[in-house]
Parts: sequence; C-alpha cells; structure tokens
Amino acid sequence: MNSNKFFSVSRFYQLLRNDILLNYKKYLLTIAGAFILGFIFILMQMPDYMYNDTTFKYDSSSYRNLFSMCLVGLGAFVGSGFSELSSKIKTSNYLLMPASTFEKFLSQFAIRALAGSVIFLVIFWIDAHLARIAALRHMEYSNGQLAGPEKYSYIEKFHYSMLLIKNNYPIVKNWRLFEGIGVILIIFSSGMFLFSVKIFFRKLGLIKTGIALVAAIFLIVFLMVSVSYLFYPETKGFNVANIGYFLSNGYINEEIFLYSIAYLAPLFLLPLGYFKLKEKQL
Amino acid sequence: MINIQNVSFHYKKKSPLFNDFSLEIESGRIVGLLGKNGAGKSTLLHLISGLIQPKSGKIKVNGFVPFDRNPNYLADIYMVPEEFAFPSISISTYVKAFSPLYPNFDHHKMYDIFNEFELQPTSNLNKLSHGQRKKFLIAFALSTNCKMLVFDEPTNGLDIPSKSQFRKILVSSVTEEQLVIISTHQVKDIDTVIDKVVVIENGSIIYQENIEEITQKLYFDLVPSLTGVENVLYHEQCPLGQKIIVPATGDNESSIDLELLFNAIINKTI
Repeated sequence: MNSNKFFSVSRFYQLLRNDILLNYKKYLLTIAGAFILGFIFILMQMPDYMYNDTTFKYDSSSYRNLFSMCLVGLGAFVGSGFSELSSKIKTSNYLLMPASTFEKFLSQFAIRALAGSVIFLVIFWIDAHLARIAALRHMEYSNGQLAGPEKYSYIEKFHYSMLLIKNNYPIVKNWRLFEGIGVILIIFSSGMFLFSVKIFFRKLGLIKTGIALVAAIFLIVFLMVSVSYLFYPETKGFNVANIGYFLSNGYINEEIFLYSIAYLAPLFLLPLGYFKLKEKQL
Repeated sequence: MINIQNVSFHYKKKSPLFNDFSLEIESGRIVGLLGKNGAGKSTLLHLISGLIQPKSGKIKVNGFVPFDRNPNYLADIYMVPEEFAFPSISISTYVKAFSPLYPNFDHHKMYDIFNEFELQPTSNLNKLSHGQRKKFLIAFALSTNCKMLVFDEPTNGLDIPSKSQFRKILVSSVTEEQLVIISTHQVKDIDTVIDKVVVIENGSIIYQENIEEITQKLYFDLVPSLTGVENVLYHEQCPLGQKIIVPATGDNESSIDLELLFNAIINKTI
C-alpha cells in the first residue's frame, strides 16, 4: 500500500503553511478579539464590590462556571473550520487542492481543535489574571475597599487545577478516572460535532447542527423509551423506566451509561467527518 | 490520457445527464469541448477532475480514478473554473501559498506570462478586475505544468488583446505530455489553438474529430451566393454573402470556421 497516498509530511507541512499564509490576518484578529472580549467578559463576571458577606469568595466553582461559558467561544472557533466548504466555488478549489483528504482533515483539526484549544487556554489564563487584578484594583481605588492583603483572597488567583475542584474537594477522587475522562470526552465530542459542521451543512451550519443535536438526543431518549416498554411493560407515556443502583466501585449504573456514550461519541464523530469529507461532491 | 467508459450520471432529483457515456482522449492534445447550454460540458469537466462521482461506469485519467482524489493525481491536474473566488491577498502571497503544492511548478514561466498579461505580483487579487483575475488564474494554471489542464470558459471576461495573448501563450506553453481541455461557448476564441473537437448534446457525444481530419473531409468557404454551388452541407448568411461547408475535394485545404462547424453539427447537417 502506498502510504504517500494518505500522508506525506512535506505535503502536510505545505498545507499548514498554505492555510497560515492565507488566513494569518484572520487568525491574529481572532486571537486579539478573543483576548479583549475574554478580558471584558471575565471582568464583568467578577465582583466589583465587596459585600459584608465575609464567606463570599470568588473561588474555584466561580472559575469553573466562567471557564464553561468561555468554552462556547472556543466551540465557535472550532465550528468555523472548513470555511472553504461554505460555497460551491471555494469547495471546488478546496477539494482539488493537491493533498489527501486525511491531510486536509488533519490540518484543520491541528489548527482549529489543537492550536485553537492551546491558544484558548493561554488566553483564558492571561485574561483571568488580568481581570482579577483589574477587579481588585477597582475595588481598592474606586470603592476604597480591600486595601489590605485580604483582598488577594477575595478573588482567588486562577490556576487550571481549580477546574478539577468542586466544593473544596477534587472532582476526580478515589481514582474515579472514568468520570474525569468522561467529562473531557463530552467536551471533546461537542467540539468534534462542531468541527464537522461545514462538512455536513454548507449554509446555516450552526443552526442545522443544533437541530441535528436535538434530533440525536431525541433519538437516544426515544430508543431508551422503546427499550423501557420492552423490558418494563408497566412504563407509561414517554418515560424511561430504569432501576438505578450503586456499583461496588461507587458508580451509579446510569453514570456508567452516560459516560459510555461520552466515550464512544468521539469514536464515531471524527471518522464520520473524515469520510463525509472524502465523499464530498460539488 | 482520459478514458471514460459507459458512465452514467445524474444530479439529485434530476433526469439523467449522461447515460452510457464513453470518451477516450490521448495526451498531447488541446481539445475543444463544445456544446449548448446545459449539454453537460461543465459536468463532464467535474467528473474528469474528480469533483463529482459517476453513478456507474469507469473514469480513468492518467491512470487514476479521479474521484479517489489521490494527492498525486490532484498535483497533476489544474482546473480553471468559469467562476472563481480568491482570498484578499496579493498575487505573490497566493503563489507562495499554492505553488509548492504543484511539484512541477515553473516560476520563470509564470513571471513571463505575467509580463505578457501585464500583471503585477504585488497587486491584491480582490482588487483586480474579473478579466485580470482570470488572466492570473490562466498564468498560474499553465505554470503548474500539470499533465491535465481543464479550462471552463477561459476567455469569458478577457478583452480582445488578452484573448489573442491567451491563444499565443497556450500554444507556446503546452507540451506533448499535457492534455488540455477547453470548454467554451465562444468557439471563435479557440478555433486556432485546438487540435480536436468534441461536441456534446444532452449528455452524448454527437461529434468528435481531429482538426486535420476535419480539414481533410470538409471545406469551409465564403461565396457571394449559393447559385451554382453544389453539395452544400451547411450554409449561413453573412454580410458578404454565404458561409458554406462543402465536402473537401482533396485539392486544397481551408482553415476551419469552428462556429460554422458547430452550428452545422447542432443542426445535424454533418
């Protein structure tokens, strides 16, 4: 088998170079825009006044919510991949570019999903720190509050390990790695779902993807309802009948089911996008 | 070389465009693909370039199945579409971004063509006129030195001097290893460059002949009137009299009036 047909390092490099040469202004503007908007958004979410409630702290749970909201921005960037497939003329140019489908798919994945995620993490980290300093300064100079060292603990300093802490306890505890990986894979699956938007839908991609997502969820629930009727004849209406129980390792059986879906979805979504691109016609 | 065997194709929810279509063209030729609107010319070009897949039958171009979109195949085919879009970048940036993807790209040749077409590498592609952008695309296509060059309406939007420049550049730059297919309505623009004519109608080939064979078989002439002229295969009135096609006698050859020939073929008199 001629592997050059699928992947060549020099061709892949040329493809990445091609993308960067054509789109570097767009990427730089996106990074600058994300940096400024991210800073404004995070600053708006942070407290600008210290209330008498001494128990309040802008801590890990606040940062986790903030991070989840900002992930939408990353999702939009990932979802803007394969922009060449937005019109017939551009699609024709893109499909005839001398590179394999795998290289085209991988280059978009590398730029949108990998580089995009890394840059997102860096921007979020910088913005979170800058916004914290700005919020504390505002409280100190505008409101005359928090002059002492206690101000630094009012809004905690952001670090990524915070995202793994919930109510002062680590999210991934007692070796519940399954759950941790499941959450990461849910985020990854959502990203991959958005990544392939343009391959499936030329116009109104995000709206159609939303509809497809709702349809997919409905189908899963419908399947579960059907199975409920099969195994639990007493099921009524559109209910899902199940018996929840704890497993010996501390998991609930329903958790296993949901995380299994999270594990398996990326296995389907990535190859599905690849084969759809391979079979793409004008 | 193009080898199309028993190909059928139809667009979704539309009646068949090609049904049991076959065609064979060898390299080293400039082929004029002619036909009326909706005859299937662009679809045929899309099938040859691998943009669409036939419903049945086989297509092989230079030993590759086009729809496989093998990168080695794509590196040896360049298509100049009728409509095109460019990013907002300079000509030189475009060349820097795309030329490395074509292993046989010739920069000297490209700058020579740029000079002929009076194109400046620093110009922004989106600030050029449609005709200038088409000239750039033609220059880029010829510089790739791909074995297969496909032009869809290449002279649309070109001014009169550019049309003759295009003919001159095309003839001087194409080699024996290359195969050029030009699909056009404007048959007069290419009548001096092509060496094979293929006419399709309703998805079928209704005429295909090499230029030398045409000139051996047919004689094109302009006469004041049809009086006394025998064996007229086709005629059209013009300001100077009648343009006619008659069988060639073998004594002398005429230059082909491609438009007249096309009309004769469409009117089924040849």
